Amino acid sequence: MTTTHPRRIGFKRWIVIALMIVGGVLAFGVGGVFKPLSPVVVLPPEPIWPGLNIPFTSIPVSNTFLATLFTDVVLLGFAFGAWRFARSGNLVPTGLYNFYEWLVEFLWNMTESAAGKWARRIFPIMAAIFLLVFTANMVKLLPGFESFGWMKEAHAKGYEAVPLFGGLYALDASKPVDKTAEHGGEAAPAGAEKDEFCTEACEVVPFFRATATDINFTFALAVSSVVMTQVFGVWALGMKYFGKFINTGTMISKPLFGVIDFAVGLLELISEFAKILSFGFRLFGNIFAGALLLSILGALTAVVVPSALYGLEFFVGIIQAYVFAMLTLVFMSQATVSHHGDDHAEHASH
Amino acid sequence: MDQAAAEALVLGFKYIGAGLAAIGVLGGGIGIGIVAGGAVEAMGRNPDATPTIQTNMILGLAFSEATAIYALAVALIILFAA
Repeated sequence: MTTTHPRRIGFKRWIVIALMIVGGVLAFGVGGVFKPLSPVVVLPPEPIWPGLNIPFTSIPVSNTFLATLFTDVVLLGFAFGAWRFARSGNLVPTGLYNFYEWLVEFLWNMTESAAGKWARRIFPIMAAIFLLVFTANMVKLLPGFESFGWMKEAHAKGYEAVPLFGGLYALDASKPVDKTAEHGGEAAPAGAEKDEFCTEACEVVPFFRATATDINFTFALAVSSVVMTQVFGVWALGMKYFGKFINTGTMISKPLFGVIDFAVGLLELISEFAKILSFGFRLFGNIFAGALLLSILGALTAVVVPSALYGLEFFVGIIQAYVFAMLTLVFMSQATVSHHGDDHAEHASH
Repeated sequence: MDQAAAEALVLGFKYIGAGLAAIGVLGGGIGIGIVAGGAVEAMGRNPDATPTIQTNMILGLAFSEATAIYALAVALIILFAA
């Protein structure tokens, strides 16, 4: 413990600092293709290549879809690795599988403390949601996401494309092209986007875009989560579960409060749909706003600040995955518990 | 008024609307502050209960953040989708 460190200042940090200085000089001194661009913000996911559809359908392969496939491959790779590790007979986990074991144990403890005897049935769903959202949010931080792609003719504002090498092009930030000025306030003709390569003003359609910036992904997860909540409710309570929504039980015995109970039941029904909305928009909003923040601040400052924001995005990605899984777990375990009768009996027996 | 001026006017009102929608984030910020403040106070009083408090705090944060995210979603939709 008391040994002195002869080389307190390590070597690797100088590499990092040198790279930062090089980045700063390239971005602000040299400019041109090295300068980060202010992003083109597109809400819906874009097709990665014109005319490329998912086989046997007419749905175009979008960049978020490709990112989801990539996420799935990563997840399957880890699952396969964990399976092989479990078969190897080595009881002490090493490296990444330490992390996996810790993660599964953490999720399992959380499920067990919230759901009790239903934990074994709820665990697979909430853990799958956590792992999918978590991996998708980590994968989107890889370099190349939202920056590589094919070039498209921009509708209004774009940049001139400069050839680099081997058929690759980069957008030149010092040569902005404003089409609205040239064409007297009229947007570009719609046929322009059919071109494979742009002619004057270009923008990049990325091959990979963060999965959760696609509202279809978040709402699909939200709908599955809420529907499975109903399934668990019926599984645990039978047809009595729907008494929570259409509450006519006290209508005759206590007319005034019965009507209030009925109205409360209808509100419960509305809140089920509100759950879908809040699930979907929470994940989408957080990740989309994060991606927007990263690209806008990246375009403004290029070095140092985006690194700190990457840390923030890393944190937000974990928190959102945790929140999605946790809320699913809480709603499901709530649905398995009856609100009247049984609940009191259970408490009395303790 | 000619076509271009009308379009510019609509665009201007779009930006105003998006800005007004983003005011809704205020409520989410206040809510998150209250939740985190309460949680830290509770942890100070009873440090042993930290894991439980943390879990519930994150749930509370998520719920109050959701309202801010609705405002953000409305602003984004006004700007880029509508």
